Amino acid sequence: MFQILLMYYLCRMRLNRILLLLSAITVLTPACKKAANPNDENEHEAINKVEMVFTRPGVGTTIFLIEDPDGDGGNPPSRIDTIKLNAGITYMLDVRIKNIVSGRETDLTSTIVAQGKAHEMYFIPTGITINITKNDRDASGYPIGLKSTWAVGTPGNGTLLLKLMHKTGIKGPTDAPNVGHADLQVVIPIRITI
Amino acid sequence: MRSPFFIWFLFSVLPLVSAWSQDCQLTLSGSVSDADEKNPLDKAVIRIRETGQVAFSDEEGHYHFYLLCRGTYTLVVSHVSCDSVFWKVRLTGNLVRNVVLPHRVNQLSEITVRGTRDQQPGVVKEELRKTDIDASRGQSLGEILQRATGVTVLQTGSTVFKPVIHGLHSQRVLILNNGVRQEGQQWGSEHAPEIDPFIAERFVILKGAGALRYGPDAIAGAILVEPQALPTDQHFHSTFHTGYFNNNRQYVASLMAAQNLPYAPAFSWRAHATYKRGGNARTPDYWLANTGLEEFNYSLAMGYRKPRFRADLYLSAFNTRLGIFLGSHIGNLTDLENAIRSPRPILNIDRYDDAIGRPSQQVAHWLARWKSTWYLARADRVVLLAAQQINRRQEFDRALLSNRPELDLNIATTSADLSYEQDPQRKVTSIAGIGVIRQENVWSGSRFFIPNFLSWNPYAYALRRYTRQKGMAELGLRYDQKDITVYRNRNNVVTREKRSFGNLSGTAGLNHSLAGGWRLTANMALAWRAPGINELYVNGLHHGSATFEVGDPDLKAEKALNTSLQLRYAADSGWDADLTLYSNYIADFINLIPSGTPTLTLRGAYPTFLFLQTDAWLHGADWHLGRRLTHRWSTMAKGSLLFARDLNARDWLQQMPANRVEAALTWSIPGKFFKDTYLSPSLLYVARQSRMPSRGIDFLAPPPAYALLHLESSTQFPLGSCAVQVQMSIRNLLNTSYRDYMNRFRYFNDETGRNIQLLLRFHF
Repeated sequence: MFQILLMYYLCRMRLNRILLLLSAITVLTPACKKAANPNDENEHEAINKVEMVFTRPGVGTTIFLIEDPDGDGGNPPSRIDTIKLNAGITYMLDVRIKNIVSGRETDLTSTIVAQGKAHEMYFIPTGITINITKNDRDASGYPIGLKSTWAVGTPGNGTLLLKLMHKTGIKGPTDAPNVGHADLQVVIPIRITI
Repeated sequence: MRSPFFIWFLFSVLPLVSAWSQDCQLTLSGSVSDADEKNPLDKAVIRIRETGQVAFSDEEGHYHFYLLCRGTYTLVVSHVSCDSVFWKVRLTGNLVRNVVLPHRVNQLSEITVRGTRDQQPGVVKEELRKTDIDASRGQSLGEILQRATGVTVLQTGSTVFKPVIHGLHSQRVLILNNGVRQEGQQWGSEHAPEIDPFIAERFVILKGAGALRYGPDAIAGAILVEPQALPTDQHFHSTFHTGYFNNNRQYVASLMAAQNLPYAPAFSWRAHATYKRGGNARTPDYWLANTGLEEFNYSLAMGYRKPRFRADLYLSAFNTRLGIFLGSHIGNLTDLENAIRSPRPILNIDRYDDAIGRPSQQVAHWLARWKSTWYLARADRVVLLAAQQINRRQEFDRALLSNRPELDLNIATTSADLSYEQDPQRKVTSIAGIGVIRQENVWSGSRFFIPNFLSWNPYAYALRRYTRQKGMAELGLRYDQKDITVYRNRNNVVTREKRSFGNLSGTAGLNHSLAGGWRLTANMALAWRAPGINELYVNGLHHGSATFEVGDPDLKAEKALNTSLQLRYAADSGWDADLTLYSNYIADFINLIPSGTPTLTLRGAYPTFLFLQTDAWLHGADWHLGRRLTHRWSTMAKGSLLFARDLNARDWLQQMPANRVEAALTWSIPGKFFKDTYLSPSLLYVARQSRMPSRGIDFLAPPPAYALLHLESSTQFPLGSCAVQVQMSIRNLLNTSYRDYMNRFRYFNDETGRNIQLLLRFHF
């Protein structure tokens, strides 16, 4: 009934009026209000937690942590552990890279391995001597660096510059640490004791 | 072989194969005589405005037009000793029309041409010349506009161009696309305007803040992009443009068709589509990896026209995918310093490729616009303009986890404007209007940059114009109220904040003819701009510049007092000149300033930049001087100067265009078959920007001055029923290596090298 009335009314209207009605409809139907439901501002899909798992064969494992739970900006990284190692010992290092948003943890390590041709880790010690060998390889046979062997030298204090470089399309077998752009770059204090 | 040139060649040959003819066999004829003595007038010029056809009356006053299509035409009849006469004919069969021309008693000093009404007589402005538009078809809007004096571009690499008027850009420059304020994420300096220039027939640059009718926030100026009017004749109009740019092996094709419906003459339509695809750009020494682009745009316009009522609907879509130079995407400050230190980009794949990978931008812009005009008595009118725009911008930075974009912003803008306009031919006319703009922004993507918001902006304005024989004066007032409600979510706690801004703006303009061919335009305007959403709430990493930007929710509105003065000379002496002087005082100018404390992240340290307010004074001059030497040779020179001061810091403002001059020589080659043929070399000199803030804001000193040589040529000839225009130009003819201060990627790479452009236009 309503439709018949509407049709009747529309047919009786002059074209000008129909066009005016159409333009009124365009104005009066704004998109529904989605702005009031915003997303969480903490960054998703970024690295904000790193676990460095050192294994001393036959003895056990030690884990050192780096955390920036609110991501870039906001507060500076909330936790950067001092890496403590023993002199003259050879360790196996596993780096695990994670994202935490509102307490929920996602492990990104396997994604980086899968995108191995675009990534490489670098360990640059200053003030101490450690002989580091990368053990894992990407599909081209170039190093990734998530798994490495650390032959620790004499006792002392220093720092370690830890970098994960992103280099889609330009990765070579022996790149300098400044090739690509940094997905991760942290300076970690390091202490070697007897 | 699948070379881009081959594909382009195929595209260019297609229209020739598909050229069709129409049955347009009508004749319009008659005689021309003078009103007093009824004597036949010979050598009267009769021009059909819609088709551009011209006929001359013979000794008995007779004139003829053949092969016309059905439709409504506007005839312009002029004669040396008479006033011009305009009249409309509706052609449905062969027609004879006799014209009587009134004699001019005490001839006026100038012929006032009705119909070409100046919409903004009290504003300093510049319209791009047709030859400039034709020569730059296929380029982006920013590149086309920089042909106007006083307009430069803010570049992000080789793909993103933003127009800069008198040193200001982004939210301080308003772009009107077919009468509608272009609304997207225009705050971003690397966000190019989402407009396909192929649709436009006119580009008008309004300098200064006098364009009050379109908004109070155009502190630097406004750009009007206006498409061709819908046809009133029933000839099937179609234009096909195609071009090839050798530097990045880019091809472009654009087709436009328009018609007045033969059996429903109140209706007209126009449709257009453009496709553009290019690969990596090349500097004189290396390719720039991942600088390809792809663009696909289309539009449809429909008009309904009756003597007392007009309406039109315009729908358009703009879609682009832009590669961002790989070497510009640095991780942190150390990476940036490494990149700056290296004379050649360290992060580059030096070969041609047309694939677009990360980092990239993907932008879509849709516009639906509705305009109705009701004509009242004495050509007064009521105009309703309603528009809906949706802009989706996705920015892909680095691929770590998924293929999702880091930045994903969706903004919808609804606007309505109702105005009452008196006949512009009256001695005193008024325009008054009210309107509202509603905006809703929603972000997704994996990285926060600007928050969700809902804003309402109701406004009202009134303009009054007084016309005298030698000039006119214009006064205008406008009030705007802008309320922004911001929605934020921090650790799943949603908060709401509201900011309100309200202000009055005004303009006073004067336009006066002086003796000897000089004309003076003066304008003074008081404008204001509410802080943009990024200036208030941005909190995030700005890739490409490796800076961390932090907004301030307590910013006040910017207030500007803008004075512009334009002196133009045009006479039969062969000289033409244009001098524009301007001064723009901006109180509470919002400026991005480094804070000194870096932001520490797991990706390294970034310098922090804060939005702070200061008082600024921008002043300068644009000038243009032309001289026709002989009927074959003409020459032109133009330049612009800008001084931009931070008054509180007693220092210069950063990122302002350097002084520049440009000179061109044009050789016109007359011909019977080849028409409008010319060859024009030009030289552009851009000085080194020496006016820099003394506190070290920048990572790198401004690049040295450079000079570029360009060459342009064009010719037109008929080919069957079709008019063909061939344009050939070479930009950066000498393949000079240079960097420009206004390119945000000057830290990373040189500008593009030599670019040979070939452009064909078929007009059926």
